[in-house]
Amino acid sequence: MDIRIFKKKDGGVVQLIDKEDMKEWPIELPLIFIEYIKSKQLDNYGSVKKEVEKYLDEIMEDIAIPRLVSVLEGDDNEKIILALTRIEEISRKDIDMAKPIKKYLPDLLKKSDKQIVKLAQTISKNFSNAERKKELAQKRKIMREKEKLFLEGKISGEEYAKFRREYLTLKE
Amino acid sequence: MAKKQISNNYNLQAAKNLYLEYLEKGKESKIIDLPPDTVKIDDLNRKEMLDRLYRLVDKVLEKIYNTGRPSIELPSRSSTNIIWDEENDLLLLGKQIMEKQFHTLTSVADITRLMRVLEVVNELLNEDIHATKREIFYTDVNLFQEQKNSDKSIEDVATMLYTTRNSTHIVAAPKGTCVGRLRIRDRNDIIDLEGLGSGGWTISPMLDNIEIIESDAEFILVIEKDAAMMRLAEARFWRKYPCILLTAQGVGNVAVRMFLKRLSKELNLPIFSLVDSDPYGHYIHSVYLRGSKRLSYESPFLATPNIKLLGVLTRDLDKYKIPQEVRIKMNKQDEKRIKDLLNEDFVKKNKAWETDLKLALKLKIKAEIQAFASHGFKFLTDRYLPEKLTTGDWI
Repeated sequence: MDIRIFKKKDGGVVQLIDKEDMKEWPIELPLIFIEYIKSKQLDNYGSVKKEVEKYLDEIMEDIAIPRLVSVLEGDDNEKIILALTRIEEISRKDIDMAKPIKKYLPDLLKKSDKQIVKLAQTISKNFSNAERKKELAQKRKIMREKEKLFLEGKISGEEYAKFRREYLTLKE
Repeated sequence: MAKKQISNNYNLQAAKNLYLEYLEKGKESKIIDLPPDTVKIDDLNRKEMLDRLYRLVDKVLEKIYNTGRPSIELPSRSSTNIIWDEENDLLLLGKQIMEKQFHTLTSVADITRLMRVLEVVNELLNEDIHATKREIFYTDVNLFQEQKNSDKSIEDVATMLYTTRNSTHIVAAPKGTCVGRLRIRDRNDIIDLEGLGSGGWTISPMLDNIEIIESDAEFILVIEKDAAMMRLAEARFWRKYPCILLTAQGVGNVAVRMFLKRLSKELNLPIFSLVDSDPYGHYIHSVYLRGSKRLSYESPFLATPNIKLLGVLTRDLDKYKIPQEVRIKMNKQDEKRIKDLLNEDFVKKNKAWETDLKLALKLKIKAEIQAFASHGFKFLTDRYLPEKLTTGDWI
């Protein structure tokens, strides 16, 4: 297949491998490729950034997810372990990239293979940690606002203490 | 004065225009029409290669059963059978066939070595692994005696199977390096050629494992020397001027030339060479351009006919005021090499190249890329290359 060419307004170009060629790749690699381009290259693409982003979404939808699903729903434990190992790595770096497999975790946790269960548990934990981090960030933001309001005398000490307690519980 | 010029901003317009021209033309056709009097070879995958190998062995067995006097036929690789194809600008192998008999004293050693290499190729393909030419020699030192004998048998095997040497899974030792605006896949890994430090990526001879996955480069620069490559890598030349840099530390081996061919075919970027201003530098450029005589049967897979000779041209020495003390006087051997090059049809056809070689012969002067250091270490990266790529001063 031909490489996909994105022409920039300044005369430059970005060339990316055709998604059809990824059908032959190890199943977790399209996901790693998307994550790699998004985190390392996308910001340098200037006027074609949006276009490339759209293409990456296409890869995700047409190649990365269907290939992952075909393995995770299958019976080949070796392949599942290989895929989960790489997904676990991805989930540690960028949890959003691992989202497509979230709905398969409950079934994977029920599998008889200990290694699959262990990997599924670790990925689930990574999701919980990420969610906790997100929640904590939100609470921190609210906490700062409450602090400001408390110092301005706009909320009571009791109300402030309630928020503070919730925040500290979550933090622990 | 020189410092003032160095601070100029070059837009590389000529190189950009060339790229736009390539973009409009589209990628080169995947099938090259070879002249009827030349040998056509194929780049095969493992399965196809095994099929072809078994067919050859079947033929030999058939001859043994039928005549009791087996032989092998293969295209001759002698200089009289090397043809320059003007239309495709390639050195190719003609259709002269030679026969190696199993039963004659003159060819018995040769044929035994050939069969041994075939056996090794079969093993490599079945295991899906690769071996270097040196390793092949060490599989049977008593039989091969010298590495040049095993190398010759390897080339014979590739020729008689009408395939590229890489298809046999026998590869050259890694030699060249590549760095710049390119991302590749090597089996399960994504390799960023911008993020490997000044040393860059060692070009893998196992190119069947390599896939080009992303690039925002606008041209490719092939550099003869490691020292010049180091200068450009240290300056992170590709950051200011989006490009891919590649060096083979001398004449490009099979892996480097095949990788360059792949880059050219898939990315369709302008390619320039930067070599010493001497007969050897011009020869190195010619090998990238149209292939070597020794591996002429593989030229369609190794040559890059659209590569331009950016420098160092003989005319550059005066233009860029290269001081007399860093110019080197040519010896008799250099003069002979220039005359040999001038006798080549592909040079005669390229008037600008012929003119520059004639000027070199007239002045009897040569110079290395490093001669530009006489104007300061950054002259090469900040003035010479950007200026030439902006003005289109290449051959």
